[in-house]
Amino acid sequence: MPNLKVTNSKTFHQILFILSLMISWELLARIGQLPALLFPPVSSILHELWAQTINGELIHRTGFSLYLIGVGLGLAIILALLLTILAACVPLISEWVQVLMAVLHPLPGIAILPIVILWLGTGPQSIIAVIVMSAVWPLVANLLTGIKTIPITQIEVGKNLGLTGLRLVWSILLPGAFPHILSGLRVGWARAWQAAVAAEMVFGASGGEGGLGWFIYKERFFMEITAVFAGMIVIVLIGLIVERLLFEVIELKTVRRWGMTTN
Amino acid sequence: MKRSTTRLGILLAIIFSISIVNFTVAAEPMPEIKIAGQFGLVYAPLMIADKLQIFEKNGLKPVWKEYGSGAAVREALISGEADVGFMGIPPFLIGWDKGCPWKVAMGFVVVPVGLVTNNPRIKSLKDFKPSDKIAVPSPGSVQHILLAMAAEKELGSPNALDTNIMAMPHPDAVAALISKKGLAAHFTTPPYLFEELNQPGFHLVSSDKSIFGRPFSFNVGVASKKFHDEKPLEYLGFVKAINNSFAWLNGNMPAAATILAPEFKLTPQKTLQYLKWPGMDYTTRAYGLMEFAYFMKRAGFLKKIPTNANEIIWENVKL
Repeated sequence: MPNLKVTNSKTFHQILFILSLMISWELLARIGQLPALLFPPVSSILHELWAQTINGELIHRTGFSLYLIGVGLGLAIILALLLTILAACVPLISEWVQVLMAVLHPLPGIAILPIVILWLGTGPQSIIAVIVMSAVWPLVANLLTGIKTIPITQIEVGKNLGLTGLRLVWSILLPGAFPHILSGLRVGWARAWQAAVAAEMVFGASGGEGGLGWFIYKERFFMEITAVFAGMIVIVLIGLIVERLLFEVIELKTVRRWGMTTN
Repeated sequence: MKRSTTRLGILLAIIFSISIVNFTVAAEPMPEIKIAGQFGLVYAPLMIADKLQIFEKNGLKPVWKEYGSGAAVREALISGEADVGFMGIPPFLIGWDKGCPWKVAMGFVVVPVGLVTNNPRIKSLKDFKPSDKIAVPSPGSVQHILLAMAAEKELGSPNALDTNIMAMPHPDAVAALISKKGLAAHFTTPPYLFEELNQPGFHLVSSDKSIFGRPFSFNVGVASKKFHDEKPLEYLGFVKAINNSFAWLNGNMPAAATILAPEFKLTPQKTLQYLKWPGMDYTTRAYGLMEFAYFMKRAGFLKKIPTNANEIIWENVKL
């Protein structure tokens, strides 16, 4: 398993780097003249992280954030699939989708929040709408490119072998487009995370039902700077876990095994 | 002949240099003071001071900065973006609790504060269901703390309405309440309070009178120890300018209304009506510091509180 070995040593180097960053931070905060109000030492941040995990607050907030992202990203994926399939089948719709994408892709999801609040109110549905808006366009863009970049010869070979309809999609189109689908999912996930946190921090969401964005927002107002850092660490950790345990594993088992990417 | 020319030259040079020195002394810029305020009828004295150049008359050049919340003003003070700032007593106390080296330089306006709804079902705090959202400007704001006080009084726990709270800027909350989109009530201050109460079907659920019992300073002027100790003249100029501004405002309400009307996009008549609304008191006395401290400690918003108000005010403040 040469791949695993490379991954392990990569992980080791990265962990080493993060550890040394944390140690120098701690030293800077302890030795320097920097006020703890602005620059708390890592140890007190980790202590806060632990305390907020034990009392259930962070777990509850993380759960709620993940729920919002799950629903939002799920909807975005379904919507993106529908749009892509329609665009692939009907040339006219393909043009429409491209215009829509050109107009809406550059618009950050969070920018539509004021309108969304007016239309949908201030509950979780508004945050989900922002997540869908943020994630759906990169997904569509990647899905379309994925389908377009499959070599015609592969499709022809498939057809010659007698594959049609769903079997053609499953055996030729899906694997052929998979590298793009995967990068679409990665971008979509990252955008969904950003949108979920940003939406809650911009309009404050609500006290009872709030995710990590609300947690950071609230702690800022109570000047709990260590808790703000703790919230940020959780966001980073979840990002890392999803990247390492989900996307990298999928990548290893699919496009790398199929020999579609180097590196 | 040649000698006298030299002498004349020297004389001229001396006169010239003296005049330069005089000139530079006269043109030395006034010391700058960076002032962090917010928006609303509460900050009318700051707007008056700006329009009438009251700081300049006290030998200071003001740099005005406007922020969206007391917490943002607090951050501006901590980061050195502002020398003095205006915030509610709760954000001030939260900063003091966390070790900000600052004290109150003046009380800043007593205003009516109220919880307004347009839902006929809601008559008191007991009528709020878990799904009824209550907008406050931010967590830890005066409005949030007053709501917690009211919840302690009427519902037995300061946290009873925690799940109902929603943080929203005043203008957004007014719009959400009027359009009945996801908001049941709004804890607010003038002019938003007056505008909402002028709408048909809007009524007060609770107000500062029933919650606090007596007047309290809605904001306090805050100055850091560094500013107070290292720039005593600027500090005194700041206090004097604010006092002058309050005195002028109280003595010239109709003229003040004309100056302020465009700021609030209201007519001068309406502005005057708002300035004179019962419960408005433009005073620099600091009321309610310890009452907020005791409650916030009891409710868990603060870890430590001052033993008495003198610990958190500068020497010029009248309680």
